[in-house]
Amino acid sequence: MKVLKVPARTIAVFVLPCLLLYVCLVFAPILVSFYTGLLQWDGITTTKTFAGLANFKEMFFHDPVFWPSVKRTLLYAVASMVEIPFCLLMAILLNRYVRKGNTLVSIYFTPVILSVVIIGQLWKTIYDPVSMGGMLNGVLISLGLDSWTHNWITEPKIAMFALYAVSLWQYFGYHLLIQYTGVQNIPDELYEAAKIDGADGFKADRYITFPLIIPIFKISIVLAFIGSLQAFDLVMVMTAGGPAHATDVISTHMYNSSFLSFKYGYGSAIASFLVILCLVFTASINTIFNKLEKKFS
Amino acid sequence: MVSKKMKATSTIALSAALVLSMAACGNSNNNESKGATESKGNTATNAPDAGTTKTESGKKVTITFQNIYPDPATPSYKMLHELVDQYEKENPNIHIELDTLNTDQQKVKLKTQAASKEIPDITIVNPAAQMKPFVDAKLFAPLNDMLDQNGLKDTYQSGLLDYYSFDGNVYALPDGNNIEVVYYNKELFEQAGIADTPKTFDELLQDVKTLKAKGITPIAIGEKDSWTGSFLFMNILLRTNGGPGFLQDVLDGKKTFEDPAFVEAVDRFQDLVQAGAFPDGATSIDANAGGNIFKSGKAAMWVIGSWETGAIDASSVAGKAGAFQFPSVNGKGDPNEFMLAPGSAFAISANSEHLQETKDFLNFFTLNLPNKQFELKNAVGIGQKVDGDLKGAGYSDLAINISGLFNQVKGGDLAFDNTMNPATAQVHLSSIQNLFVQKVDSVQVAKEHQTAFEANK
Repeated sequence: MKVLKVPARTIAVFVLPCLLLYVCLVFAPILVSFYTGLLQWDGITTTKTFAGLANFKEMFFHDPVFWPSVKRTLLYAVASMVEIPFCLLMAILLNRYVRKGNTLVSIYFTPVILSVVIIGQLWKTIYDPVSMGGMLNGVLISLGLDSWTHNWITEPKIAMFALYAVSLWQYFGYHLLIQYTGVQNIPDELYEAAKIDGADGFKADRYITFPLIIPIFKISIVLAFIGSLQAFDLVMVMTAGGPAHATDVISTHMYNSSFLSFKYGYGSAIASFLVILCLVFTASINTIFNKLEKKFS
Repeated sequence: MVSKKMKATSTIALSAALVLSMAACGNSNNNESKGATESKGNTATNAPDAGTTKTESGKKVTITFQNIYPDPATPSYKMLHELVDQYEKENPNIHIELDTLNTDQQKVKLKTQAASKEIPDITIVNPAAQMKPFVDAKLFAPLNDMLDQNGLKDTYQSGLLDYYSFDGNVYALPDGNNIEVVYYNKELFEQAGIADTPKTFDELLQDVKTLKAKGITPIAIGEKDSWTGSFLFMNILLRTNGGPGFLQDVLDGKKTFEDPAFVEAVDRFQDLVQAGAFPDGATSIDANAGGNIFKSGKAAMWVIGSWETGAIDASSVAGKAGAFQFPSVNGKGDPNEFMLAPGSAFAISANSEHLQETKDFLNFFTLNLPNKQFELKNAVGIGQKVDGDLKGAGYSDLAINISGLFNQVKGGDLAFDNTMNPATAQVHLSSIQNLFVQKVDSVQVAKEHQTAFEANK
């Protein structure tokens, strides 16, 4: 801050409006929902009984839906992180071999600008059983792979994976765009210099692209991770957590508890857990990447 | 995804913020409206002739009317709009603002509004257990005085208002009173060579298999909205229990969910699933789409409330559809006992700024609803007495068939979520949804219900 040579007071004045908004709209409500998580409350009546940690106890030890939904959420997050290296690879290839990569990147980006509700409905009809005109199953059958057909989003064992696939498909272009921009921002001189020194192709990627792309890579990873921890819309549109909680993630479980089961206090407890989970993971991802950056620079 | 991240981090936070800020508004509103109702009370005594409000002051009054009639193709939509237009014409100082949503959206919206005591002047609630939390929170105004005006009370079928009454006060007025029936497609039955409608559950199972063998979807359902499966299941339970009152007995502590009647009902329901009665991927089909499978002539049966009669008559299977009672199960139960579905009901906010005007409007609305529905050929299953002969008025055979079933009603049960508290109901709903996708030990299902019931007492 000292570099700017601006009095602290000026900084405060400029920061204040945003800070106030942030505190009122984000920070305070989080605290309130922590408090609500301690109550037995249906969200409507004025009788709120203070229950201490009863909701959390119930959540951790007695709720058969909670841990499976945490597991699915984390898997969601891992799946979307695993996607990022592929996006990076794609970006490198595009940058190297395609002269006007921008057009292709824009095309890959299209699903991102579509509303999740539309995406959900679209994929629902793709996943439909053949008797209802489902495209995926239709294609499988015409390829002679009848035994591969499934009721993709209603068979409890595979439904969640069908949802992951949609998410990965939708956000591929998004992360590709980020990585592509990152790759393009690496100055050409570096590669030219490396070429003279005998580093070309994969070698150049290993010693130039990777170290320089790490900050961009981190952004993608954090966004993908946090985004999928809070996955809600797509699940709601496609399965609403069904059949029988088989596709419930933390946020849909929270929604169902607060608004359908009228357990507002319990829902808030789940929300608090989600907030903490996000904080912990964001912090640890940051630490890991800071170490990585140091190691490579 | 930046915005997604922001959005998501604050989804919880923001919604909590909304609740918080609205709660603050709600409080101040409480005080204001108290003053407002007092002054309204005066105008009411000055102008006791309700029905037509003469607001001498001539000030504009806006009444918000949250409703669940979004589809312009349906008679209910036309009924709502025609009555509102008529009222606005007769009372130029009153403006009725419609807040139109579909059923599920409305439920959630009302819930969030209720959390901040900001519910619209008129809203929609479901009977009995579903509206109890709202009544307990004192969100609705008692309508007893308004029911006595213009003889409104006597238009309702006897006993119907009981489902909307708590401690001697009526809190909501239903838009209908329906029963659960089995609609069937006569043409598809003929194609499969089924001569008569099933009288027993075993015959029903047999028909299901016959239809399935012919490549016809036997029973349409949209189980993504899990109440649909529960509604069908409860009909089986009504039979295996040998009559109504199972859930009430559980509530009174006379029975548990582990009762043989309940286990048997689960078993029989699974028999239906195993026989392939329902469309593939039923749990991803929403209720409307599920109904369309029948209404587009692709499924042979549809087990649903009689409120669909008008919609079926307006669909492509009009004229081909018939209806019958749900059959007896294992020789138990009386087919003339039905799952009863007292309709969604209009309630008035206790904190309404224009309580008297709102009551006057609702009085007009509910008084004229039966005749308007009759005119629009939507009078099957309305909860009020209506003069007129269905046949003479050009109603379909199906409608006349259904109204004949109404005359046979000996009694019955309410839906699960109208009887049990919401938390127990949610466990039940997903437990039944589970039966659609995998075979489960019925004793386990019963135990799951009992555990949930005890935990949420």
